[in-house]
Amino acid sequence: MRLPRLFRTTPFRLTVLFLALFAAAASAFLAYIYLATVGEVSRQADASILKEMRSFQTLYRQGGFNSVNRAIIERSAGGGQFVYLLMDPTGAAVSGSLAASPVKHFDNDRDWVTFNITDQGPNGGLVRHPARGLEDRLPGGERLFVGVDVGRSESFVVSILRALWGAGALVLVLGLLGGLLVSRNVSRSIGNLVAVIDAARTGDLHARAPLSGSGDEYEELARGLNEMLERLERSVAGLRHAGDAIAHDLRSPLTRLRARLEAAMVETEAGRADPKVALRQALEDADGLLRTFAAVLAIGRLEAAGQAPDPTTFDPAVLASDMAELYQPLCEDKGLDFEAQLEQGLTVRANREFIAQALANILDNAVKYTPCGGAVMLRVRRRASGDVEFAVTDTGPGVPAKDRDRVAERFVRLENSRNQPGAGLGLSLVAAVARTHKGHLEIDEGPGEVDGHGPGLRVALVLPKAG
Amino acid sequence: MRLLIVEDDREAAEAMARALAEAGHDCALAFDGREGLAAASAGRFDVLIVDRMMPVIDGVAMVEQLRARGDQTPVLFLSALGEIHDRVAGLRAGGDDYLVKPYALAELIARVEALARRRETGSVQTVLRTGDLEMDLIKREVRRGGQEIDLQPREFQLLEFLMRHAGQSVTRTMLLEQVWDYHFDPQTNVIDVHISRLRSKIDKGFDRAMLQTVRGAGYRLEA
Repeated sequence: MRLPRLFRTTPFRLTVLFLALFAAAASAFLAYIYLATVGEVSRQADASILKEMRSFQTLYRQGGFNSVNRAIIERSAGGGQFVYLLMDPTGAAVSGSLAASPVKHFDNDRDWVTFNITDQGPNGGLVRHPARGLEDRLPGGERLFVGVDVGRSESFVVSILRALWGAGALVLVLGLLGGLLVSRNVSRSIGNLVAVIDAARTGDLHARAPLSGSGDEYEELARGLNEMLERLERSVAGLRHAGDAIAHDLRSPLTRLRARLEAAMVETEAGRADPKVALRQALEDADGLLRTFAAVLAIGRLEAAGQAPDPTTFDPAVLASDMAELYQPLCEDKGLDFEAQLEQGLTVRANREFIAQALANILDNAVKYTPCGGAVMLRVRRRASGDVEFAVTDTGPGVPAKDRDRVAERFVRLENSRNQPGAGLGLSLVAAVARTHKGHLEIDEGPGEVDGHGPGLRVALVLPKAG
Repeated sequence: MRLLIVEDDREAAEAMARALAEAGHDCALAFDGREGLAAASAGRFDVLIVDRMMPVIDGVAMVEQLRARGDQTPVLFLSALGEIHDRVAGLRAGGDDYLVKPYALAELIARVEALARRRETGSVQTVLRTGDLEMDLIKREVRRGGQEIDLQPREFQLLEFLMRHAGQSVTRTMLLEQVWDYHFDPQTNVIDVHISRLRSKIDKGFDRAMLQTVRGAGYRLEA
């Protein structure tokens, strides 16, 4: 037979174990107290009996048998703790409060005996008390028995012990109840966590453990579990999204490529077209596909990783001046003014390749969309907050305010940019790079409308300060 | 040139071999790391093209064993893993260059030829010569037909790379990697603009253009 679940929990088992230990220790303690106290009581009784006996021996030597007899009669009538029996040398009773000596076979020596005194109880019934007694011979050959009622002291000890036993039993009961209560609470806390883990194991990553707000270790555990699930859910969603995005973006150009090849084959077979033209076109399509594929893969990997791989510490101005040097000729060829304002001596901790790629993407966009006669400015500076900003400002047509949040989404290409090359992944990669470096991407209006140019666009990649 | 292709995807290996044969190279094929190791030890090759992920012995382990035996044949790794640390791991294992799949065949051919050439010109040169173009690496001077050409530092590096690979196609990605040290695909024609500036400096005023565009591949410096 299995115990109910509540009784099988670890806290309950621990409670039972501790209670058992407690009970054993308490029993040993009580037993020791009992033995020690009872021993002491009987030792004290014996001592008082001896003292009483000695006083009669002294009285006898001073006043003879009659004074002893008188004293016995007096003391028996006076009540007190002692009982007496004065006997002649043959053992026949002379005086005292007992009818017969509890010592059955007196052998002329001091004889100790433990016996019972029957007494009138408080409610009229007969009560038997345990008692100690001693019979001895007086100097004249007469015999004297002196006894003392130890029942009162002993029963006091016994009643205290009984109370202690009762308290012990109460502790055990309360302990068990407490154990059950603790065990139920723990079971509930753990049960919540187990339910969440079970849900996650069967594929439901939405489940979260409830937080009690108590700040105890169960809540800490629950919070840790929730954070872990959060992260897991994000990466899984990221991967799924990356998969969807790849499928989405590669399907249409692949379809186009296939259609073009098919048409070219038909036309070439009919002798109406030069296969070289179709092949060249197909090659260009394939190159575009590879570029898209690489960009989607980079974004997907970044997002799935959640953080930028292989970060190094470097001077952002050095990287930006490399990029400036790379893009300046392109700008000049297109009739654009190019300027770089780079604050020296800053440091960032980031993945150099991804930052370079992100800057190249932003510069690509700026060069692509800014008409001849415009300007492109690359700037690196430290903000008051300590964050490092890479900003590219152009004097192109800009992006309407309502679309600014959207342009960094994957594959979003605004209407007026459809005739430009590109897959619409440039800023999504920049956004992914910003996110995985714990930074952010800002898209604002540029310098405004001047001489038929503008309003322009300012795209800033902001990275948190190093360290 | 004699090349060994070690790649478990037979179709890809054969397509590569066809393209390299078309470019005038002689290719042997192996389909896993152990075969590759045996083939590399048995024959003499100018360049090994090794896929990173293969059955039996993977590419990195294969090249490590090869290097441990003292074989210094240049190795080009092919891999679907494009992260920087994968690249670093490949190069640390003894690879000489790293190409991420999917790649254009023109890129592959250009890199293989660059690797083979690197081996030939192992000696330290202080002066490079291509036709009537002369580059003094110590004085950092460039002359064509005795006439001095003034180049910016980056243009000098660009020309040096082209001269070291004179007569071979070099791709835009190779230039970005080798001259600028960035490993990403340039989206616009940034490299083209730098090339056209360099071209205007070295070819202007001469009746023969040395710096030529190779359609679908990149550029080539012709003597």
